[in-house]
Amino acid sequence: MSAITTFTLKQGPALRVDLRGLTPTALAALSVAEIERLTVTHGTQMLPLAELFGVARSEAAGAIDELRFVGDLSRFDRIGWQLAGGRVIVDGSVGDYAGGGMSAGELQVSGSAGELAACEMSGGLLTVAGDVGDFAASTLPGSMDGMRGGTFIVRGAAGARFGDRMRRGTALVFGDAGDFLASRMVAGTIGIGGMAGRHVGYGMRRGSVVFASATSGTSAMHEIADTFVPAVADALVFWQLLSRDLARHGGAFTGLPSRAIRRHLGDVAAGGKGELIVAC
Amino acid sequence: MSAAAGDSAKAPLVINGVVIDDTFAEAFPMKATRIVITAHNLTWARHAAVATTGFATSVIACGCEAAIERELDAGETPDGRPGLSVMLFSMSGKELAKQLERRVGQCVLTCPTTAVFAGIADGPEVIDRIALGKNLRFFGDGWQISKMIAGQRYWRIPVMDGEFVAQETVGVTKAVGGGNLLLLARDTDAALAAAEAAVIAMKRVPDVIMPFPGGVVRSGSKVGSKYPALGASTNDAFCPSLIGLAAKTELTAETRCVMEIVIDGLADTAVGAAMRAGIDACTAIGAAGGLLRISAGNYGGKLGPYHFHLHKLLGQGAEGDQS
Repeated sequence: MSAITTFTLKQGPALRVDLRGLTPTALAALSVAEIERLTVTHGTQMLPLAELFGVARSEAAGAIDELRFVGDLSRFDRIGWQLAGGRVIVDGSVGDYAGGGMSAGELQVSGSAGELAACEMSGGLLTVAGDVGDFAASTLPGSMDGMRGGTFIVRGAAGARFGDRMRRGTALVFGDAGDFLASRMVAGTIGIGGMAGRHVGYGMRRGSVVFASATSGTSAMHEIADTFVPAVADALVFWQLLSRDLARHGGAFTGLPSRAIRRHLGDVAAGGKGELIVAC
Repeated sequence: MSAAAGDSAKAPLVINGVVIDDTFAEAFPMKATRIVITAHNLTWARHAAVATTGFATSVIACGCEAAIERELDAGETPDGRPGLSVMLFSMSGKELAKQLERRVGQCVLTCPTTAVFAGIADGPEVIDRIALGKNLRFFGDGWQISKMIAGQRYWRIPVMDGEFVAQETVGVTKAVGGGNLLLLARDTDAALAAAEAAVIAMKRVPDVIMPFPGGVVRSGSKVGSKYPALGASTNDAFCPSLIGLAAKTELTAETRCVMEIVIDGLADTAVGAAMRAGIDACTAIGAAGGLLRISAGNYGGKLGPYHFHLHKLLGQGAEGDQS
């Protein structure tokens, strides 16, 4: 049997609240009363969870412990922070750092997420049904590596610097992405279903950015920097491997295996082993 | 190559005029792996697979035993291109790794349009992983690119027709080598016909290969030799040219040609199933086609833990004993 702990928001807090530490594993052994007494930061204060949420516990037949948050949690940061197992479901939007540093498990957000979602994520699955802010799938300030594993799905749009310093894993945006997409990218795979902003792949060292919009062509990007060169040779085997994996996520990615591609290689200012792949 | 037949001719079983000896094939534990070679078309995949499995008939002197298992259509391969599955067997995981790297490096990497993938899915039967593209990547001289896709790492190595894609590693499993059948026939035509029919039937069985040329070996061997330096020598008891000369023969005067089929498989059940399929194909030809007896090679049961009794295979389905 697994435990499902449900947190129903009583009212939105006046200040931002940090929910780091609230993971299915950490709470599984605690009673509802013990959970209600746990304190979280609210500005400079510490508040018991009971002041913010109604807490309920139920049991399910599955083997995965689960946390459910109900309400608009836009002012709640670090939900699913360093999640290492279990499942967290948010029925609403979340604040900054959602899924940051998570290494396993699953985080589902039915609304949107703030900045730095999936930053330094290394494993697991993070799904955001709405939009994400700037620096999603990127790195914490001062750190060298951004997202470094796992799967990050954004069904809406993404802000600027999506995938900054990303090193490994798969991050898909079904909608548009902001400026500096995949900037300083080290490796990994980014897929974009809509349009990207300016300066795509700025300082990109390795990795793949796939533009899957049905109307892609070069219109998926405002411009391709001069530090990217057109690829002359085909990469059909690699494309079949990658596109088949991306296709299972649906949306604009569904038909990728049967679509031709054009590639641009770069950023030659940073080694030139990255590639921008435009599905035609 | 196999050993001399042991306790044959105790209670002959006759099917369609063909005597099935009451004996067994003795097989040994090996280490095996399977790779999938794809290419722009099946012709080039086959060129690579044939080269990769060349000079791989016996571990005695080849380092490994290898052969094409079967063709794969585009729907069965990771990259949607036609391909072939190839299996390699060796006596140790270390030797298997050495052989795989050399053969893929010289025969697949070099062959136009090819790519190579692991052919054994991750699972409890995988006891180790060995390099596939992991070391070949250095051919890229720094231009190689690693790519993680669905939890698997691939290497993209620039070559003159584009890029060579190789999965980083492939799994190794325990396996069984040395299952065999001896086909005793009236003459060469009859022996070849029976052997060819048996090989065709065996190739339909999954997880097995017949590593000798055309799947057939005519130089069956026994353990030891009059020459101290040799560990094996011709199986004189099954040589028709030595009837009346050798101290012991397993043949009668009407047996003028013997062929052997050696089977390596990923499991004893696979080897047994292949032997059963081969026996069925041979007995369908029957004595009218010139096939007189079916026997098997063993070492008296003292060396190999897998014993495939011919009568058991026919009577109780395809199962081998492990003693």
